[in-house]
Amino acid sequence: MALSSIFQISLKALLLKSFKPIKQAALVAAVLLPGPLFAEQMESAHDLMARMAKASRELNYSGVFTYEHRGNLTSAKLIHEVREGKIYERLLHMDGTQRDAVSRADNLDCLRTGDMLLRGNAYKINNENYSRLKDFYEFHIKGDGRIANRQVSMVHVLPRDKYRYGYVVAIDKESGLLLQSVLMSHTGKPLERFQFVDISIGEYRSEIDSQIKEGQFGNIDQTDCVELNRKVDTPQSMWQLNWLPPGFVLASYQSPGEDGQESLMYTDGLAVFSIFIDSVQGNTLPPVDAKLGATVAVLTKADINGHQYAICVVGEIPRGTASQVASAIGIAP
Amino acid sequence: MSDHKERLEQSLSALMDGEASEMETHRLLKAVAEDPQLRDRWTRYHMASASIKGEPATTSIDYSAAISAAIDQEPAHRRSALTVFAGSAGRFAIAASVALVAVFGVQQLNSPAGTSLINDSGAISEFAGVETAAENSGPAIQFPSGFQPNINARTVSVGGNNKTSLRTTPVLEFQQQAQQQIKQQYSEAELRAYLNNVMTKHSSHAALNSSQGMLPFARLSEVDGQEASKGAGETASE
Repeated sequence: MALSSIFQISLKALLLKSFKPIKQAALVAAVLLPGPLFAEQMESAHDLMARMAKASRELNYSGVFTYEHRGNLTSAKLIHEVREGKIYERLLHMDGTQRDAVSRADNLDCLRTGDMLLRGNAYKINNENYSRLKDFYEFHIKGDGRIANRQVSMVHVLPRDKYRYGYVVAIDKESGLLLQSVLMSHTGKPLERFQFVDISIGEYRSEIDSQIKEGQFGNIDQTDCVELNRKVDTPQSMWQLNWLPPGFVLASYQSPGEDGQESLMYTDGLAVFSIFIDSVQGNTLPPVDAKLGATVAVLTKADINGHQYAICVVGEIPRGTASQVASAIGIAP
Repeated sequence: MSDHKERLEQSLSALMDGEASEMETHRLLKAVAEDPQLRDRWTRYHMASASIKGEPATTSIDYSAAISAAIDQEPAHRRSALTVFAGSAGRFAIAASVALVAVFGVQQLNSPAGTSLINDSGAISEFAGVETAAENSGPAIQFPSGFQPNINARTVSVGGNNKTSLRTTPVLEFQQQAQQQIKQQYSEAELRAYLNNVMTKHSSHAALNSSQGMLPFARLSEVDGQEASKGAGETASE
């Protein structure tokens, strides 16, 4: 913003031909020349992210990708097909314990908080505050690369504070799909990496049609769909967060079910963390800090009117953020 | 834009042109330390001048925040001790600094990462330490199917007194309370099941609300197979 205001001022100065000291003229030249170039670059990196958010939902694609963390590597096969306004997705783990594929169906027009933020929309938190992805991350295009035999643009996503991690992402030039995503620590160490090794885009897979008929795809809950400036709310929750890392907004809320578990899920568009509050299991679980790959889980206890609750914060966020969130959970007045 | 700010920005562009006076430079350095906006501007100017000169824009990752956080995090005694030792004989200084490094290293390991971060007001104090501790937490102990406990398991008693103890495996100590059972010990299987469950739910949520589509499900590869497909199935059928 400051840059553009200087730009305007200098433009005005040029038009009025009223450059007084020579230094100011030099400043005009210095800012005017690279300014638009730079603005364009920022714009396109951000556009790439927005395009990626759209592509990952709306295109047909299938492929095999790897997931890597702390020297462990696993692989999974992903199928993503769109049929008549619905998304059908299937993920099959290719190694480790044999297990069923995860299959799910979603409405194409159901955009969630994360989608909204990633598409670059300003997201209204309350009457005064808006959350925007670019307020919390910087985006830089770092050149070209090749992933899964496709040409990609490499984008560095740098966090503007210490409450979240950064990413290195590779976006397919042709389709806009995310082909690689590396979560980076604040010291520049990779924490986890998703990467496609093979992907085919735009293919119509007819076997999906019969699987849909057989009812293999479970429908995803559509209650978290949001429109612009509408937010998810916690209507009946007795809990409230006295602190949230800036930029995170509530994306989903599950009221306590039969198992006594209530959950709140937050996203800033890229990073996601979830809070689980258990009233039944509260008595039996120990407070613990655990870590799985880049995911941290901070389990704490709260004693409210003699009743024990287990509060667990899980997410791909720095442990400090998770601890701070966990300790900021209190009872709503 | 305030006068002061405008002056600083003029000083900044003067500095970029190599025309800033010593006083201006000092003022600027002081202001930059406190004003992230000004710092950003400086970075942008450098990018701008790099692109004018036809150099590749190589701002890359900004380590300044991480570095200054790391510096903030250094215990003060270390600096003062070092200054003291710097004056003494070289041989002694080397020995002393080795000792200091050892002490510092042990301290870092022992510091209760989970609790020391948050002071009473809930504000964060030593952020950089968190991550370092989290990353250096040693070899992966296969705990709840891949969940790795941090060395400092925080035990919180029912009475509400937070204690921090150093353990390799968290063992829970509950204080006895009248209405509670005499003594409870958590079952590890239960904890594992719980963590797997929340991890599964979290991943299926992350798969809806981040850039990565279904990719976060791959994180569950380490979570117990049955639990994972059960949890994911639940989400899918909702």
